[in-house]
Order: sequence, then C-alpha cells, then structure tokens
Amino acid sequence: MTPKTCLIVDDSRIIRKVARRIVEGLGFEVDEAADGAEALAFCSGLIPEVILLDWSMPVMDGMTFLRRLRTLPGGMAPKVLFCTIETRAERIAEALSAGADDYVMKPFDGEILTSKFAEVGVV
Amino acid sequence: MSPEDFDRLQSLMTSRAGFRLTRDRMKLAEHRLGPVARREGFETVDAMLEALWAKPIASLGWAVIETLLNPETWFRRDRVSFDTFGKELLPALSRARGGQPIKVWSAGCSTGQEAWSLAIAAQEAGIAVEIVATDLSQRALEKARSGAYTGFEIQRGLKAGTMLRWFDQAEDAWIARAELRAMVHFARANLCDAPTDPHRFDIIFCRHVLSDVEPALRGAMLDNLERRLVDDGCLFLGLNEQPENDSIAFRPVAGRKGLFVKSPAALRRVA
Repeated sequence: MTPKTCLIVDDSRIIRKVARRIVEGLGFEVDEAADGAEALAFCSGLIPEVILLDWSMPVMDGMTFLRRLRTLPGGMAPKVLFCTIETRAERIAEALSAGADDYVMKPFDGEILTSKFAEVGVV
Repeated sequence: MSPEDFDRLQSLMTSRAGFRLTRDRMKLAEHRLGPVARREGFETVDAMLEALWAKPIASLGWAVIETLLNPETWFRRDRVSFDTFGKELLPALSRARGGQPIKVWSAGCSTGQEAWSLAIAAQEAGIAVEIVATDLSQRALEKARSGAYTGFEIQRGLKAGTMLRWFDQAEDAWIARAELRAMVHFARANLCDAPTDPHRFDIIFCRHVLSDVEPALRGAMLDNLERRLVDDGCLFLGLNEQPENDSIAFRPVAGRKGLFVKSPAALRRVA
C-alpha cells in the first residue's frame, strides 16, 4: 500500500526535523517546505494527505498559504493542522475559520501529534 | 533507596491502595519521592522513609502513596469508548430511563481529563448526566477540581474546536467552563473498599486502573464495581484490559473492545 504523505511547512529546520521523526513514525512519507510559497508550489504538483503548517514564516505566512491552498484543484482534500507558537484563543479560532482542521500549540510532543492525527482521522 | 525500603513501599502500596508497584519502577519511585521528602522537611528520601517506618504517620504515608500511583491520563483516551458512550449508550439509556439523568462514574479519574471528556460527550449528545469522578489521590483531585490544564495537557486528545468550545483561556491555562463544572462532582474513594451505601451507576468508566492493581486484589475490585452498577448498565475498561481472568462479574460485549456488561452469574447473584 502506498504510504500517505505529509507536508511539513516550517521555517525552522529543527522543528521540521523533530516533526519529521514523529510523523514518519506514524507511517507517513514526509516532504518539507520552509515557507508558504514553497508549500504552495509543492501542492500545485502533488496534494499531500496532511499538512503541518507554521503560522509566521518569511515570504508567505501560514494563513495566506492556507487560503490559497483551499482554492487549488483538490486543495480542500488535505487535513491541515496549524502547528505554531500562537496560543491565543482568538488566533486559534481564526485558523479554524480559515479552514484548518486542527491546531497544535508549540511545544508539542509525539503523543500530542499522534492524538491530533487520530482526531482528524488520518491514522 | 535500599531494596528493603522498596519492599516495604511495595507492601504499603498493595495494602493501602491495592497498587502493584513493580520492581522496574524503583528508580522512578526514588525520583518522584525526592520532592515529597523536601516538601515534608526531610533532607533525603532515605531519611523520610526511615521516619515513616519508625512512626507510620498517616499523612506522610498517604503523601508517599499518592506520589507513587500512576497518574497517566489524557482527554478522550481510547476515543472509541467516548464515541460509543456519547453516540450510542447515552441515547439508548436516556430513552430507557424516560429522560432521567444518566448516572456516570469515572472511577480512578486521576487529574480529571476523563470526567471532563465524558461531560463534553454528554453535552454534545444533548443528554442530561450526573458524573461522579473519584480517585484515591487528593493531589490529583485538587487538579481535577480546578479544571485547569496547560497547553500541553489540553491538546492531548482534544481537537482545537472542542477546546475552544468548552474551555476558557486564562493566562497559560485552559479552564473548564461552568457548564461542564455543573455536571461533575469530584470525591475521594478507594476502589478496594466495598460499597457501604446503595448508590448505583448506569455507566462506569474504570480504564487503565485494573492493570496497575495487584493481581490478587483485582477480583474484589471488579466485584465492588459490579455492585455499584445497575443491572442493565455498562462498564468501560481500557481497550486491552480483560476482567475474565480475575472475576466472573462481567462479560465482554461482542465486537466492542473495552466494553462489558454484567455476566449471567452476576445477575443470578443479585436475583
């Protein structure tokens, strides 16, 4: 069976590395992007099943990426989980209204990410 | 900590809490007891234990016991059990009870995440429930009653939308809303103690408790749970927990991992 794919979008190489280890442990094939523009280019060619998305990034932020993703052909399909240091309730509500499926507050660990993936139905 | 001290701790945990403190937890026990020793005014764990063995003061004994219990829990742990509870059992039981509140017991609730998860499931099902949540540890109950969880704790098992709907943000904590608080009553109880009153529940959640109970005491504990459950009620255990080897009080529900009802033998005993 072809493994599901997860795109990790974060400008921090360390966060991408930590998240990659956890997500690969869940059986996903992982791709990385360092900002929203890179992620959008990736999604124009191949839509992943799950996207783990940082909020503040250079070039294009997570919210702009999410809004544009949802207008792409097939762009409604991926489950998008914001994964950010933004922890205010208003920002979380804003992310959900913009079409995010769930929200992970940094810091996180493998158990949190696993439970979030389960709640959105991808594992 | 000497092996002799650990042996005595094992005996204390079994006799007072029914808890099986396995030898592989010796290092963990020593690590956890450090802060208790400091809080209680002892220089070392060894000094605290020496004092406890010389004069077994109840408050110090319970402080030690509470620290060594397993507090591991999170929101909607084994989420299939909460789906069964909210989407199937509550509607069916509510119809059977003519709309009367369904009585639910979270037995061994630790820091309360299970009880709040049950309250949320009931709210979302639109069905009235009365939840009693008990634990042996006063410290765990204090946290449970506060209904306050860190960002780390709140998102373990809860979707962000559910968190925003049922918890208010206050500085670094997320606090259970009044609507949930009105549904849950927290109290201290030892599951090894036989019931002394006739109060019974429609549904009991006692998950991930049995596996830490001393095997010789599991049967009595399950029998105590059976006596607290109405005849057409349901017991939820952890998805991998099996009561069959310890008691004949319950039988599994086919195709529903972790869900049990009273066995024919238990029902005959009642009759």
